[in-house]
Amino acid sequence: MSAAPQVALAVVLRVLVRATDPARREAMRKLVVDAGHLPVDSPSAADVVLSDQVHAGFAAMPEHGGQSLFTPRELEVLGAIGDGLTNKMIARRLDISPHTVKFHVESLLRKLGARTRAEAVAKAREHRLSNTVEL
Amino acid sequence: MTELIEQFSSELAARTAALQGAVAAIRLPRGRYVSAILWRPDVVVASEQSLPEREEFDLVLPGGAQAKARLAGRDAGTNIAALRLTQPAAPPVLAPGEAQAGALALALGADGSGGVSARLGLVNLAGPQWHSLAGGLIDRRIALDLRLARAEEGGPVFSAAGAFLGMSTFGARVRVLVIPAATLERIVPLLLKDGRVARGWLGVALHPVAVPDALHATAGQPSGMMVMSLAEGGPAAKAGIVPGDIVLSVNGAQALGFRRIAAQLAADSIGRTAALRVVRGGSVLSLDAVVGARPAA
Repeated sequence: MSAAPQVALAVVLRVLVRATDPARREAMRKLVVDAGHLPVDSPSAADVVLSDQVHAGFAAMPEHGGQSLFTPRELEVLGAIGDGLTNKMIARRLDISPHTVKFHVESLLRKLGARTRAEAVAKAREHRLSNTVEL
Repeated sequence: MTELIEQFSSELAARTAALQGAVAAIRLPRGRYVSAILWRPDVVVASEQSLPEREEFDLVLPGGAQAKARLAGRDAGTNIAALRLTQPAAPPVLAPGEAQAGALALALGADGSGGVSARLGLVNLAGPQWHSLAGGLIDRRIALDLRLARAEEGGPVFSAAGAFLGMSTFGARVRVLVIPAATLERIVPLLLKDGRVARGWLGVALHPVAVPDALHATAGQPSGMMVMSLAEGGPAAKAGIVPGDIVLSVNGAQALGFRRIAAQLAADSIGRTAALRVVRGGSVLSLDAVVGARPAA
């Protein structure tokens, strides 16, 4: 008999997933299913709500006066860092030179005020969540 | 000196007692409740974000009487929900007043059994109008220098003179904000009439980006809004917008900030054409989208 530990779920929760970004919502739904819980669509049928909102509360629409913005290329590099890719792998994925990747990464770290790649990914996620508006 | 403090204290208590007739409690699941304002004899106003999605609510009126109310409408844009009581109550008349930074503010909440809870603080900020993340226009930015319990959200806020400043709510980072009386006057009648506040909608999630150097001259502006995601079958998707496009302008209004674009999507924009200028793959395109109505949150 296999001695693999079995994790028994005490309860199956009905979970309402809330995210403005459809791709993100889908990823969160998958997380819920993989954890053995049941995603539901109606708030009245839900035991708990899983939301990607960092700040609860009635928030103001952000204005980005003066703060440094990322270029589309920097956003791509940021996404690749988030996927755990090295500079060499990013260069291959985006079809640019490793030197250019290094340049973009340095620019990203500076703009985000981050010291490590992991810190940059975390800060960028928060930045993106609070600066993406559905219109 | 003691007399002055006692006088101040008893005036506050008297004010609270005189105004507590405007505070109701809305029952929530699992024995919890949230505060609300008896705005008119048959209309109750509450913080939209605090209410579960339901049509019928059980209320506790001032004095402890039980009541039932039906949801008349909710607007996430201004964070206002309006409910209609099945039996009219007898609230005090709320005389609206203007908030002034540095002045005292008295925030009332419900205690869940017909009584009142009170908080005193300064009007921390009384600024100009602002847009919420959900696209609503709030007439003034009023923040209070006080703490509020979860259950006290949605109660009325008064000036020292007893004038009605608005409804308390939580902003970002649990900061206590006031939805001004003027915004309630503007939005609640719309909710009672139509059940919602119509707002224009493109069906895009936008994120500000810098326009790449090579495209500065063509774009004619330093930044734009990248399309991060699209609502399937939404107005922008129908117009041929794809994720990754950088929106430069909407109806000629440069996409340098969210408010400028939101201003193009007022209620009267629904059904009209919005001219979009976007950057895609190194060139600038012009696309026309028919503005839709923003679906309920």
